[in-house]
Amino acid sequence: MTNHENKLITEIEALKLDFETTTNKLIKDVRRQDKIMARSDKRQQLEYDELQNKLEEVKNLQKEIEDTQKEVVFTMGAIGESRSKETGNHVKRVAQYSKILALHYGLDERESEMLKQASPMHDIGKVAIPDSVLNKPGRFNEEERKVMDTHAQLGYDMLKMSDRPLLKMAATVAYEHHEKWNGKGYPNKLKGEEIHIYGRITALADVFDALGSSRVYKEAWDDERIFKMFKEERGEHFDPTLIDIFFDNLEEFLAVRDSLKDIN
Amino acid sequence: MENLIIEETKYTPQIEMNAKEGNIKIVGKSYPENTFEFYEPVMKWLEVYFNGNAKKQTILNLEIIYFNSSSSKLFFDLFDLLEEFNSKNLIMINWTYDEENESALEAGEDFKEDFENLTINLIVK
Repeated sequence: MTNHENKLITEIEALKLDFETTTNKLIKDVRRQDKIMARSDKRQQLEYDELQNKLEEVKNLQKEIEDTQKEVVFTMGAIGESRSKETGNHVKRVAQYSKILALHYGLDERESEMLKQASPMHDIGKVAIPDSVLNKPGRFNEEERKVMDTHAQLGYDMLKMSDRPLLKMAATVAYEHHEKWNGKGYPNKLKGEEIHIYGRITALADVFDALGSSRVYKEAWDDERIFKMFKEERGEHFDPTLIDIFFDNLEEFLAVRDSLKDIN
Repeated sequence: MENLIIEETKYTPQIEMNAKEGNIKIVGKSYPENTFEFYEPVMKWLEVYFNGNAKKQTILNLEIIYFNSSSSKLFFDLFDLLEEFNSKNLIMINWTYDEENESALEAGEDFKEDFENLTINLIVK
């Protein structure tokens, strides 16, 4: 009886020891696991913070690039204009008019904004026109007119090599902003929708602003005269759809003109 | 005994286990999709090595610049295994970390704390 009892106790003792070893190991494992998890959480936090910082940096850099691009493009446009003694505000107004036309025509916000940035470059080719022609007071003779008209081709040649979407767009604008809906424009006598919408829009925006501004060789036209001319040129010089958009949203154009007046 | 060489990948470190020289090197990042599967040959190799093929002294050079949590667990397991053979073998572990790599340093400190019987040197790069 005593022996039997002793044997059981021995077994239980062994079990107790085994249990202790096992539980100790389990405790050690759980502690280790907790530590790994805590370290991992901390690491994850650091990683995510760093990721966000880097992302913010990239975003800022991207904005910097975009802003620089905008400024360069705008300055290029202003250079083109300054060569022909026009004001910086002309460029700004053409930009705004172009965006309004683009949006109402149905281009999306991104493309319209791009056109706003690209349209000021329409006359960049003028930098290559000799001063004697460019700033001649009074009317051009036939030879001078020919030289002057090359500015569309020249502008296109300057910009066409670029792979940047904005400069590509500007190349199109420079090339086609003197084409006319009726096919009597230059340099390629394109007709109707053969003329890219960017060219058609900038043509209208540029002419509207040029007519309303005074130049060395001419007085500013009053609105009545401009509107009459636009109606006559609907489907001749200009895309009829764009002329309709212009008159349907006239107050928007006039508001831009008012906010960007030339200071003389 | 054959050496074990595993080339570095984007997610896994370079592994060189040289039985003749008693040299083991694990260098690089460690965040494989299945960590335990990836290190299985390493663990097996060590078992075979320490069961009758070990050199008088074995040196482990570990330089893990990035690791996921299951890799941490794996290293604990690896050190468990080393500890098991530590009494009969001379084992030295060099845990190298970059000065700016706080996670790697902390991991090294954890190993030192948990494995008092192992010789673990923390070496700043």
